[in-house]
Amino acid sequence: MSNPTDPTQVERDRERELIARAQSGDRAAFAALLREHQDEVYTLARRLVGDPHLASDVAQEALIRAWRALPKFRGDSRLSTWLYRITVNTAWTHKKRAGRHQESSLDDHLDMAAPIDSSHPEVAGEILELRGRLRLALDRLPDPQREVVVLKDVYGWSHAEIAESMGISVTAAKVRLHRARARLAKDLEESA
Amino acid sequence: MSIVCELAAPFIANSAVDGGAVIKPFRSHAASCLKCQARHAAMAKTARELAAMEGHRIAAPADLEWRVMTSLEGDLAVPKSWSRPVAWSAAVLSMAAAILIWRLRPRTS
Repeated sequence: MSNPTDPTQVERDRERELIARAQSGDRAAFAALLREHQDEVYTLARRLVGDPHLASDVAQEALIRAWRALPKFRGDSRLSTWLYRITVNTAWTHKKRAGRHQESSLDDHLDMAAPIDSSHPEVAGEILELRGRLRLALDRLPDPQREVVVLKDVYGWSHAEIAESMGISVTAAKVRLHRARARLAKDLEESA
Repeated sequence: MSIVCELAAPFIANSAVDGGAVIKPFRSHAASCLKCQARHAAMAKTARELAAMEGHRIAAPADLEWRVMTSLEGDLAVPKSWSRPVAWSAAVLSMAAAILIWRLRPRTS
């Protein structure tokens, strides 16, 4: 039985209620869900496509697709996971449409870093330097390889989830990840 | 540079990210080779940085909500289940209006 005073449970119940209302066409309820999840969706889009403008278009289209598909959402997974899947598929569609990888600079990614503990300047400097090289190395990966690294090593998706969202076999997802990590490690080593 | 180090490199990278042991043919080599150990340590640090990215959110553009909600205006005005009857009604009404306009047109003689 759920505890009505548990903040997480209260939050979950609130979200469930908003989803139910949005599924029956309540625009205000969908706007409330959108406000809660738009940063997550945009962040994933930025990590997948790099370019901020393209990421903004991907996030917009993903949220529109989410509204249209919401009546089919059964609540088997968390809403954020479901939104992530839509975002990944939308990013794929956009990139296929664009037909090329849009270059993004290191500056584009500087705000993607998690905060650094500034009490140890040497360590902070080292981490900052690693992050810079890591962003460049991620940028240099071919799109499909970058996507598996982002989904597996940043978001912790399983091989099966990655395979399903990318429309490939689990073995192909594993192979792609294996190659991506090898390339990332080599690139980082060379840039050190 | 040893060719074994190069062959082992992708498996060392995998082991560093997943936290598991290096696969068997390269395990003993990786345990005794300083270069492979350094690579393992570097990739483990990289993996921690990648994982740390998950908790960090980038603020969406300020106009994203507005862009999404205005794009949905059409969808929101007509719920999905009504879209077909509404389309049929619109088609029938516009046909009726066209017939009416045709019948009531001013005739010269």
